[in-house]
Amino acid sequence: MTDQMTYPDIVNYAVPFFIVAILAELLWIVLKGRGGRYETRDALTSLLMGAGNVTSGILLGFVAYGFFMTLWALTPLDLGHSLWVVVLCFVLDDLRYYWVHRFGHRIRWVWASHVNHHSSQHYNLTTALRQTWTGTFTFMMIVRAPLILLGFHPAMVLFCGGLNLIYQFWIHTEAIGRLPRWFEAVMNTPSHHRVHHGRNPRYLDANYAGVFIVWDKLFGTFVPEREAEKVDYGLVHNLGTFNPLRVAFHEWVGIFRDVIQPGLTWRERLMYCVMPPGWSHDGSRDTSETIKRKHLVRHPEDRGTPGFSG
Amino acid sequence: MPLHVLIPLVVLGISGIVILTHLMGLSRPRVFRDAAAARAAWLRQYPEDEDSVRDVQLSDDARAALVLARSGPGLAWTIGIDTTARPLAGARITEDKDGLIFRFPDFAAPRLHVRLAASESRARWSAAADGAAA
Repeated sequence: MTDQMTYPDIVNYAVPFFIVAILAELLWIVLKGRGGRYETRDALTSLLMGAGNVTSGILLGFVAYGFFMTLWALTPLDLGHSLWVVVLCFVLDDLRYYWVHRFGHRIRWVWASHVNHHSSQHYNLTTALRQTWTGTFTFMMIVRAPLILLGFHPAMVLFCGGLNLIYQFWIHTEAIGRLPRWFEAVMNTPSHHRVHHGRNPRYLDANYAGVFIVWDKLFGTFVPEREAEKVDYGLVHNLGTFNPLRVAFHEWVGIFRDVIQPGLTWRERLMYCVMPPGWSHDGSRDTSETIKRKHLVRHPEDRGTPGFSG
Repeated sequence: MPLHVLIPLVVLGISGIVILTHLMGLSRPRVFRDAAAARAAWLRQYPEDEDSVRDVQLSDDARAALVLARSGPGLAWTIGIDTTARPLAGARITEDKDGLIFRFPDFAAPRLHVRLAASESRARWSAAADGAAA
């Protein structure tokens, strides 16, 4: 087996591109007076979250890589390193990304890690870098196990994951409107991903795709951006802080406080970890389903339209 | 990429972007134009109060507002050029020379300093919080 195969750490090599692209977007917005918004502290927080994500990868990356190399030692399959295998790996890893991302919005334990990416009320290229520090603790590396066991080398799988992340950088912008119809039909685009970052009831739990939007269309989670309904970015309950430590850990603290409440059954404590965000044992909070249901009570005319058809 | 290249790149990149953003005047905090803007900020987070906001009182610097609604009293405030809001239930209040400090039982919105010079205003805001706690 090809244990020593290496691929470049492309996300780190993309850092200069990230910086140049952010500067270009910032200048474009300021000079043109349109195409998005920037605010200093918000941008700083996003960038520090990005730096923290890289740091956490350096410090904790061995956990996932060790897990993958263990699987690689177990599997009898080896698909090699030809170009078509890399392309197939990229497509399948994007399918993996779709499900990890969907779990990230539907399982509070995983949401606790992912929430910080949605915690900005802005949508610009710095938002793309507002990444988790705690991804290792979600154990979502397990979702990559089938790829390794099928014979895709762990280094290739991680390389494809890096390409996926870099692709998603440029779609975090309001400076690009709609792209050609064929592209919007197949690929994840700024328009599709703006929807994903929306806190509007219509846009909750939609467009989980990384690179190919076809996964959302296939699995019934696609909602198109509507001209008539501007995306309101951020969380259902927006943060009252720019402190990166609070951004990184607030949902973990929330889970902890919920789980240690007195008077709960062990099942209820578990449910606070694994049910969708907003679940509560007494029904006193709102999940995305109840938010949508309450919206339809106030706006029955939206019933059956995209985002409210479920 | 070797760390001795990556670390300076990240530090310089972040510093450059933040300094440029600040120099472009993008650090100015938002203030609520009027009570209606504060009401909109509350409803943005608690839309079910659409028909039940009874009163909105702005702080002296118009960066926070006390909102009285069916769901209970709460605060809406500006953060950067955006807004957020929280109910007052469970909040602890202390006073300093400039106004009131609200401490929320929320790790993601721990503290808010509200500028209120007049003692009547402070009393009114404190009473609303006491009502929420009762």
